[in-house]
Amino acid sequence: MSKPVDLSIEFCGKRFPNPFLLSSSPVSNTAEMVERAFEHGFGGVVYKSLGSPHVEIVHPSPRMQGYDYGPARLAGLQNVEQTSDRPLQDNLADIAYLKKRWPDRVVIASIMGFAAPEWKELAIAAEGAGADMLELNFSCPHMCVEGAGMKVGQSFHLVQQFTELVRRQVKVPILAKLTSNVADISEPALYAKKGGADAITAINSVRALTEVGLDDFVPRPNIFGKGALSGFTGPGIKPIGLRCIAELAGNKELGLPLSGCGGIETWVDAAEYLLCGASTLQMTTGVIHYGYRIVEDMIEGLSDFLAAKGLGSVGELVGKALPQMCGVGEFDVSRQGAAAYDLDRCVGCGQCYIVCQDAGSGTLGWDSAKRRPVPDEQRCYSCMICSFVCPVSGPPAITYKEIRGKKPFIAAGRSKR
Amino acid sequence: MDNAKDLSRMEPGFELDQALAEAGRCLLCHEPPCSKGCPAQTDPGTFIRKLRFRNLTGAMRTVKQNNILAGACAVLCPTARLCEKECSACGIDRPIRIGKIQRFLVEHSWKTGWKVSTDRAFERPAARQEKVAVVGAGPAGLSCAAELAKQGFPVTVFEARPEPGGVLRYGVPAFRLSLEALRKELADVESLGVKIKRSSPLQGPAAAEKLLREGYAAVFLAIGLWEPIRLKPKQRPLKGLTTSLDFLAAVRDGKSREAGGRIKGKVCAVIGGGSVAMDCARSALRSGAADVYLLYRRSYSQMPAEADERALAQEEGVHFILLNQAVDYVTDSKGNLKGIGLVRTRLGARDASGRRKPVEVKGTRWVLSADCAIEAIGYQPAEGGLIRADAKDCRTSQPGVFAGGDIVRGPDLVVRAVADGKTAARSILEYLDRKASAGRKAVRPVAA
Repeated sequence: MSKPVDLSIEFCGKRFPNPFLLSSSPVSNTAEMVERAFEHGFGGVVYKSLGSPHVEIVHPSPRMQGYDYGPARLAGLQNVEQTSDRPLQDNLADIAYLKKRWPDRVVIASIMGFAAPEWKELAIAAEGAGADMLELNFSCPHMCVEGAGMKVGQSFHLVQQFTELVRRQVKVPILAKLTSNVADISEPALYAKKGGADAITAINSVRALTEVGLDDFVPRPNIFGKGALSGFTGPGIKPIGLRCIAELAGNKELGLPLSGCGGIETWVDAAEYLLCGASTLQMTTGVIHYGYRIVEDMIEGLSDFLAAKGLGSVGELVGKALPQMCGVGEFDVSRQGAAAYDLDRCVGCGQCYIVCQDAGSGTLGWDSAKRRPVPDEQRCYSCMICSFVCPVSGPPAITYKEIRGKKPFIAAGRSKR
Repeated sequence: MDNAKDLSRMEPGFELDQALAEAGRCLLCHEPPCSKGCPAQTDPGTFIRKLRFRNLTGAMRTVKQNNILAGACAVLCPTARLCEKECSACGIDRPIRIGKIQRFLVEHSWKTGWKVSTDRAFERPAARQEKVAVVGAGPAGLSCAAELAKQGFPVTVFEARPEPGGVLRYGVPAFRLSLEALRKELADVESLGVKIKRSSPLQGPAAAEKLLREGYAAVFLAIGLWEPIRLKPKQRPLKGLTTSLDFLAAVRDGKSREAGGRIKGKVCAVIGGGSVAMDCARSALRSGAADVYLLYRRSYSQMPAEADERALAQEEGVHFILLNQAVDYVTDSKGNLKGIGLVRTRLGARDASGRRKPVEVKGTRWVLSADCAIEAIGYQPAEGGLIRADAKDCRTSQPGVFAGGDIVRGPDLVVRAVADGKTAARSILEYLDRKASAGRKAVRPVAA
């Protein structure tokens, strides 16, 4: 047996034992918690956002709302979590302890000021406590202090201004954590770069509303009769996080290292973020759902994956999907195909027929007596929705097949009616 | 045997989240095959889909609209060889637990207060004048009565026993269908306007004629089978010997202490291999019997009892003695049962049922020591034979008289009795509609 692949990776001049970090959140709230996460194998932590010692932050109760999809628990999570609810001095002491006790792990302090003096004060304090890097929280979408968090991330000049301010105070690398609640995340990223940021973290929670109570008409979480738009996280936002990382990584002008965040639970999610250009990975909701132990399977899984691909390091994966990305107008549409059905393994539920009729090309037939679909390769749109609802897996019973010489569907031209 | 197993406690049903999870497994088939698998035209394809899309009231409505005894059928039906056998998910791994979902929906209606009597789908059309009589308040009679009441007919059910329910009330142990559950379903039937006359025995074709003479426009006979078949037709009473009919009724009537008093700590033998035999054996165990033997003359796989009932009986601790024919009883001088004489059998040629026939092996008689024995070898009509009626419309040879359930079919499933009740109701409606329009035609010339 060969040794497991070394998962260490360099990020902002610092070597991380692996790319897996706790993101700034309740899962990185104390040294005691972070220490346990390190014991499970996390390569580093973005310590829970330090807030102003001058502004009293009171957490609403309850803080969170789970979002289920059918029997799947926590497809997402909505929260109204604020900056740390512990005294600044305690957090600084914890950061100092972690750096001393775990010198090989990377401790990044997340900070959020409400005005310039606080950004300055927090940056100096965090660096003083021994933080390896700072992450500037420009992205929390539900701060109880007006004009903070996401509101900064949406005011690009403030992103630049506060980054510059912090840059002037500290020597350690600075990550700007950006919000996806903007039209194009590359814009604030470029402002952060101008302000002196060394890396970008994306994304923070997505401003959302998961549920509304039908008994009380109160949006969730129900905080004594009131609800608020607030941050949504977890597997439900992974596609948005991946999009943002791919956009940032594809932006030639930016050229900064990226820390990916949003719905990462398994090494597969991790590999996808790496392939789209992230070189460190942060997670919270996965830990909220399953605990710190998830990192053990990420480490083992990613290491085995790299070995199977014949790759010697995590770095070799970073950005490897980007050359295969293009604009929608750049596809080779001369090649067409159709859904191909393995009717021997079909169980006869007919869901493919229903969706083809109601949402597809409407060309799939149905043999009632045999309880089997009747495909029409030439008229199939190859939307593939039939394969998404087919319950037969391992391997799937409906797959895509290229059909040589099949003519593409072209909307231009005259009606044949 | 788990002694904590209660004589009257049913296995827990699904909670909402479990029911939703199970509905989430449903493939939501096109032309759902499960809905074709029910003799009583229950439509799981629709009620599971309604549940899946959080249309809970609609799901409860569908279940009870289709079958007013849906709760009883949900727990008593051998779903593994009916709706669940047809389930497309069998091709993936295992069928959707349709019976458990149906039971959940009925129990959810109790929990949430949804009732047929106040639901819009059960609003009755204009009242009909023709009175209909139903004889027998078992599954067939009650479902027929409920269907006709929904059509606006005044329906009276005549029940011989003190309480309605038939086999549901007197022939099923409470750990399969609790009295409370049964009472709620019976209340649903009565809430539709059905009048049930308790302790009102009526028997035979003469009774039907009498009812017609008394002004009932149609009669549905659904009196069931209530005469136990005996091992020996002229068996004299023995202390310790009883029949499944008396035993299950005693257990059901809360006389389990009495029944238990007889059985507790004793060795009990149950003769038979059908569902009723399993109910008796499992009830005897729950009544505290020291050992329960089930004596069956054929092999395990030939037992008429459902596969799950057989397995549960064995898991709970019933000892199966197979390929042994009970032939006589051994008593002491005071007439107390002391044992059962058995003769070993082997399987011979196939009989009319297609099963290999048990042949007694000469010279193998032996005696199983037992303090009590329950004969559970079947039921027959109390008087006369089965009633002849057309399977497709429940008509008898006498106009206006319909019949269904076990008294026509012989021993059969509750769901088939429900199916007959629904069929009879359709036929009676058709019959009365035709009579009414013929009446109007006859009247018209006079009016002109």
